[in-house]
Amino acid sequence: MTGYRGLLWLARRETLRVSKLWTQTILAPVVSSILFILVFGLSLGDRIRNVGTVEYDVFIVPGLITMAMVQAAYANNASTIFQARYDRYLNDILSSPMHPWQMTLGFLIGGLYRAFTIGLALFALAVALIAVPVERPVALIAAVSLGLVLFASLGTVVGIFADSWDHTTFIANIVILPLAFVGGVFYSIDLLPSPWEEISHFNPLFYLVQAIRFGFLGESDVSIWLALGVTAALAVPAYLWAQWLFSSGRKLKA
Amino acid sequence: MAVGLRRRSPRGAPSSLIEVFRGDPPALELRGLTKRYDDGTLGVERFDLSVPDGAFFGLLGPNGAGKTTLISAVCNLIRITAGEVLVFGEPTSSLRTRRWIGLAEQDINLDRFLTVRETLLYHGGYFGMERADAEGRADEMIDLFELGAKAGVVAPKLSGGQRRRLLLARALMHRPRLIILDEPTAGVDFELRQELWSTIRRLHADGTTILLTTHYLEEAEVLCEEIALIRGGRLIARDSADGLRRHFGADTLQGVYVKAMAG
Repeated sequence: MTGYRGLLWLARRETLRVSKLWTQTILAPVVSSILFILVFGLSLGDRIRNVGTVEYDVFIVPGLITMAMVQAAYANNASTIFQARYDRYLNDILSSPMHPWQMTLGFLIGGLYRAFTIGLALFALAVALIAVPVERPVALIAAVSLGLVLFASLGTVVGIFADSWDHTTFIANIVILPLAFVGGVFYSIDLLPSPWEEISHFNPLFYLVQAIRFGFLGESDVSIWLALGVTAALAVPAYLWAQWLFSSGRKLKA
Repeated sequence: MAVGLRRRSPRGAPSSLIEVFRGDPPALELRGLTKRYDDGTLGVERFDLSVPDGAFFGLLGPNGAGKTTLISAVCNLIRITAGEVLVFGEPTSSLRTRRWIGLAEQDINLDRFLTVRETLLYHGGYFGMERADAEGRADEMIDLFELGAKAGVVAPKLSGGQRRRLLLARALMHRPRLIILDEPTAGVDFELRQELWSTIRRLHADGTTILLTTHYLEEAEVLCEEIALIRGGRLIARDSADGLRRHFGADTLQGVYVKAMAG
């Protein structure tokens, strides 16, 4: 029971941190994503043809929500763990009677909370601005959950390995953001010439965007099972990697 | 102040008798503890130490002697290379033992996002306390360390002395049986030092085992029943202050320290 109480308090601490810093953690990503929707969707939407049967302003919403959520999940966990290591208050958690898996999960919940809050806010605004449907809610929940576990776990791993703030932002700016932009957020890969269409299939974020788009719109560039399968195949090892770091103490304990 | 447990220790008794009076298991037992860091530096090597239940035990040694390595090994903060660490007879790999240990580190390592009260509450939560118990205990600690006026203030906005007091309050929050204080009075003014000494003495009087590292020889002499001198990751000597003076043929603990570290 002791460890479970610890897990609940750690999860509470992580969500409290997100809430205390809400202008940075929630408001800023929501505003920037809404700007994307307004600029690309509403302003340019009239001048761009439909993508398949879907209007362009509706088409880009799932991808933009995905991009905002995965960036938030990653950034949250990378920053909270790096800060905890840097200020050394992580020792208070490492010396506590919690199992390593409870520590991993406690931190993960903070990233999920932040990303879900952003996702819900963006969804509510998108519904108000543009009539975005949710055609396949079960697929949507599965895709969002797997994607957030993947990126929150990646954030945990980077937060543990990082030696400076630059390392955490490097991955966000040089890896995640570009992969999101070329992952079919703004276009269908059917529109791309060869070899770019084929190359897109090596982008892991492409599959997550497709899975979430399928949840919203009921259609995607690849099979939903393939999209969910690839995302799960990445999420599970990422989570296990994060948990192994807590279990082994590597980079966390000298 | 009710802190938990407890047996009074026979103050002033020779260290050999202290062992007999207190019986088993010891509060802390290190068996052949070795820690080699990833860069090859040897922190401690084949280190054996037994600290009786209820003792006020001091660790003295220069920077790099291995004091913090020992403490980190006990508190699950480093990966030990070899050996065994037992707390009240149980290995520290057992989660149960971690509830018995309270640590106030040398560095101020407080959570910057939490207020004074939250710092104590969340620490209690991490260590498995029920909410109602944690709330009552947090208020008790806030009163004890005179932090009432700052209960809603986040750690970075506290003065140095207040942070040091909060650090000690956090270490005591979950009512540990063994309290480890790593240079608790480093960099604090005379008044606060006296105040902390008084609090630490009261804790010990209530039966809590205390392991203290310090650079202040006077502090070790005034507070500790037994002192271990360590250098280069090895135990040089261990006895009461009087015993050490006799053993090293010195008039003061300072003289003992100089001779021990030179040898």
